[in-house]
Amino acid sequence: MTATGNGAPAPAGLITRDTPVGYELTGVKKKAVIQLMGSRLWGRFNPNHWDPVYAAETGLKAPIQTGEMSTAYLSEMCVNYFGRNFFTGARMVCKYVNSAYANEVITTHGVVREKTPTDDGYRFKVEIWAQNDEGEKKTVGWVEADV
Amino acid sequence: MYEGPATDDLRPMTEIQIRQTREFVASLSQKSQAYWDMVSVGDELSRELHLTPELVILYADAVEDYNPWYEGWLMNTWHKQGESPFGGAIVPPMLVSHFVLSVQFDHTRPFAVGSIHTYHDSRILAPIPVGATVRIHTRAIEKFVKRERRYVRHEATVTDVSTGTLYFTEIRDILSR
Repeated sequence: MTATGNGAPAPAGLITRDTPVGYELTGVKKKAVIQLMGSRLWGRFNPNHWDPVYAAETGLKAPIQTGEMSTAYLSEMCVNYFGRNFFTGARMVCKYVNSAYANEVITTHGVVREKTPTDDGYRFKVEIWAQNDEGEKKTVGWVEADV
Repeated sequence: MYEGPATDDLRPMTEIQIRQTREFVASLSQKSQAYWDMVSVGDELSRELHLTPELVILYADAVEDYNPWYEGWLMNTWHKQGESPFGGAIVPPMLVSHFVLSVQFDHTRPFAVGSIHTYHDSRILAPIPVGATVRIHTRAIEKFVKRERRYVRHEATVTDVSTGTLYFTEIRDILSR
């Protein structure tokens, strides 16, 4: 998978022009660690993301991840599979359908659904989602990129 | 007697850490408004963001993405050119999407505590070099109610301040309390 030997994705990604519709991507797996959910990156101005007391007061069973976290996990998977093509003319649509709670393990998934010929290859459409270990989908959507 | 969760349920804390946390949370709620009330359709806001190597590392670490393409800063080396398929280090593709949030409302006012990001439709048009300064521009295009929930929709663009390159566009929804 790596071209440089330093852990970087293959520059062209793992999806090639020959990849068929129905191909399943291997995603990434992350734990919703409270310390990361409370990072200054996310602002800390919304305690629903890191404070169990505030979260309970607003009706949540636990602090929830920002949606951007699962979007980042899904885009990491997409960079692995599309490589540099994910940075030039790609599209990513995500809907946050369920909250990802602290301490849940989130795994991303993807399946190639469409493959449309272009002037210089194919435009792939991949259904993507992120779910917990019980199979509850947290984020659903799709991406498109040229190969 | 309070029977809900405790501040230190999910991470170990001493009494002083718990007290500081409770004071901080209380300070956030005091001036907060509903996001719905903070935004009017047609509102346009724009800010510049310098995508420093350290900011990119902050993001990448928070989402545990250790792709070397994003490293314009490395311990011991510190600032470096980096390496990616586009030459030097680049910004993770969805990083700027997170910072659109800071331009969807008047950031000089208290944050609308309790609002939730629910949807985005993002177009990643060109790689952003680490070190670039971008202008994030947003426009509120719709406020709507769906299943008795209030949403605010924005469109956003991210362009390079120096070259004018359009890097990224997005439509995104925020659920307001």
